[in-house]
Amino acid sequence: MYAIITISIVAIIVLFLGAIQKKTPLLPIIFVGLPVAFIINLLGWNQSIHYYNEMYIADNFSIAFNAVLIFTTLLVFIFAPVYYKPVKRPLEDIYALILFALIGALTMTGFGNILMLFVGIETMSLSLYILAGSKKFDPNSNEAAMKYFLTGSFASGFLLFGIALIYGACGSMNLETIKEFVVAHHNNIPAMLNIGLLLVAIGMTFKIGAAPFHFWAPDVYEGSPTLITTFMATVGKVAAIAAFFRLMSSSFSDMESSWVVTLTIFAIATILIGNLSAFYQDNVKRMFAYSGIAHAGYMLIAIIALKQQAAGVLLLYSISYTIATITAFAVLILVREETGTFSINAFKGLAKHNPTEAFAMTIAMLSLAGIPPLVGFAAKYNLFIAAIEQGHLPLVIVAIVGSMISVYYYIRPVVAMYFNLPSATSAIDSSSNYKKQIFLAAFLMIVLGLIPGVIINLI
Amino acid sequence: MLSLYVFFFLSAVTLVSAVMVLLSKKPIHSVLYLTLTFFTLAGHYIMLNAQFLAVVHIIVYAGAIMVLFLFTVMLLNLNIEGEFQKSTVMKFVAAIAGGMIFLVLIGTLKSFDVTTVGDPSMTQIGLVKNLGKTLYSQYLMPFELSSILFLSAMVGAVMLGKKDKN
Amino acid sequence: MSSLSLFLTVFLTGIVLVVAGLGIAILLAPKSFNLQKGEPYECGIITHGTSWMQFKAGYYLYAILYLMFDVETIFLFPWATIVRDLGYQGLYSILFFIVILGLGLAYAWKKNVLKWD
Repeated sequence: MYAIITISIVAIIVLFLGAIQKKTPLLPIIFVGLPVAFIINLLGWNQSIHYYNEMYIADNFSIAFNAVLIFTTLLVFIFAPVYYKPVKRPLEDIYALILFALIGALTMTGFGNILMLFVGIETMSLSLYILAGSKKFDPNSNEAAMKYFLTGSFASGFLLFGIALIYGACGSMNLETIKEFVVAHHNNIPAMLNIGLLLVAIGMTFKIGAAPFHFWAPDVYEGSPTLITTFMATVGKVAAIAAFFRLMSSSFSDMESSWVVTLTIFAIATILIGNLSAFYQDNVKRMFAYSGIAHAGYMLIAIIALKQQAAGVLLLYSISYTIATITAFAVLILVREETGTFSINAFKGLAKHNPTEAFAMTIAMLSLAGIPPLVGFAAKYNLFIAAIEQGHLPLVIVAIVGSMISVYYYIRPVVAMYFNLPSATSAIDSSSNYKKQIFLAAFLMIVLGLIPGVIINLI
Repeated sequence: MLSLYVFFFLSAVTLVSAVMVLLSKKPIHSVLYLTLTFFTLAGHYIMLNAQFLAVVHIIVYAGAIMVLFLFTVMLLNLNIEGEFQKSTVMKFVAAIAGGMIFLVLIGTLKSFDVTTVGDPSMTQIGLVKNLGKTLYSQYLMPFELSSILFLSAMVGAVMLGKKDKN
Repeated sequence: MSSLSLFLTVFLTGIVLVVAGLGIAILLAPKSFNLQKGEPYECGIITHGTSWMQFKAGYYLYAILYLMFDVETIFLFPWATIVRDLGYQGLYSILFFIVILGLGLAYAWKKNVLKWD
């Protein structure tokens, strides 16, 4: 809660310093403000405070996910100076909008009332719509913003309709009250609640980019500025899946029979579509969009198996996905700066001149593919175990097949980097200050892969 | 009895004008039909004893947002007839997809239990005072958070709409 | 029910009065027609081209800023009706809201969006 307030203040200060043409202090303020918010957020650990009539609940679940989101945003900001190097103006609007989107994301993880979920989603989505179009004179960026906005507002409509029906059935938007209603009407769930939940699920699966509501993701991810794509693919996805998990686990876990089959079909479709489409991509940025869709499918498994205390597993999965994606995108930004293309050929022979970047990219790709001993493997392993214990064997088999497909396309850039040395592109300027971050991310991926239990048992 | 007639009249006008929004050839006509839809919806709100919502609906939607829509139509110079025709296959697919959602909703609507509100104070919630009391006590936090939403919308409008020097 | 019938009575009376006024005017007024009457400016340069034309994007920014403050005023209204019950708590909450929106306006001002050029 106080982390949200801190970030709001930071965002407003940044906005106004930029408006009076002060360029230099913007990023330092963010680099101070976000860690402060991170610490303030962690101070509430184990206290489970309910704010403002249960509108916001700062329990361990929301605190852990908020920590991930704030940390991820910090990593995104670290790459901002590299990405925006040619731009001379202060860029305060872009920074402020990223922070506003973060505020929305933080609200989504800790909502105690569906109304807060909606306001949070809208705050995050609206900022992301604008950010997607922030490269004003690039037609691709405009197209991405327009597509994202139109489809996104349509999904918000579904979500809102669903919320209205749930409210109509239960007479409240408070998660606790809805749970009480569901428990009380265990044997005769009203149809209004079922269809409301279905519509809410449609809206939420759109926001996490899961099939069959994933069509926006590849175009939007490809057209947006790469830094924004990084933010969208990590913070946007993790916040939405955390919100979805919270909604399902705290209100609807007792009416599983009405949504588990639907979500299982969604998850299977998502994993297959994401992986099979990523298989055919030559554009690495677009490939990440499809791989993000596939990972949304894996994360849906955590919701399907939520009876097995899957929150910790989802947290571990989010961390592994986030760190690996950010690292991969960071290298992608650098490669794109040098070669001007997102094609997989741009990675040819990267290991020759830039062994650090190539190594980091390799670690990230292997972690995303789920190769032991990296954190991606630990996350997937625990997720599948939880789902099997819950009796979702077919789903897990599909997920494992999907993982095997994914190894192929994740290995392709690695092969290009290490086995095409003669056709190496020129060295990437590695003078800028991002190497530490890449090392940090690679370190986290290896260490967390060795001690996954620490994260899983956290919440 | 009278309110039933009013309800049916308003619903008929709402549906017809909503369909006309889609069928009109000229974008300006669509926008004007949309205004009519908003007005009739405001009528529905009055029937539900939600006066404040009705007034807000007219002021914000029929007033301000319609102005924005009209501006957009004028900005993009969209007043051209018949430029936005989709192919027959697209129309067919869209009709099937939309029709399925419609069927699902109708199907569940049939099994809805019509319940009357037990708490008599709930029927008065649409009055300005009651709404204010709820908004500024129970729902204070989403309300304050929406100011951040507005701020980001404004920043976005400035960022996208401002003429750049270069 | 009585309030509804009262509403309908007023509503119908309004419609009847307007229709009657316009109808009587149409019936009674003398009719004359010439081309010049159709001109936008009766005495001036003859217009050419269509009156449908592309607007400047600048209008849109004004409209969207107007919309923001329109919504803000809407929120002020229920607050104003119960301001005495809310006390200082209510004052702070509405002040916070107004200040944040005011910051948005100040930002737009500072970025020279309000200047017409």
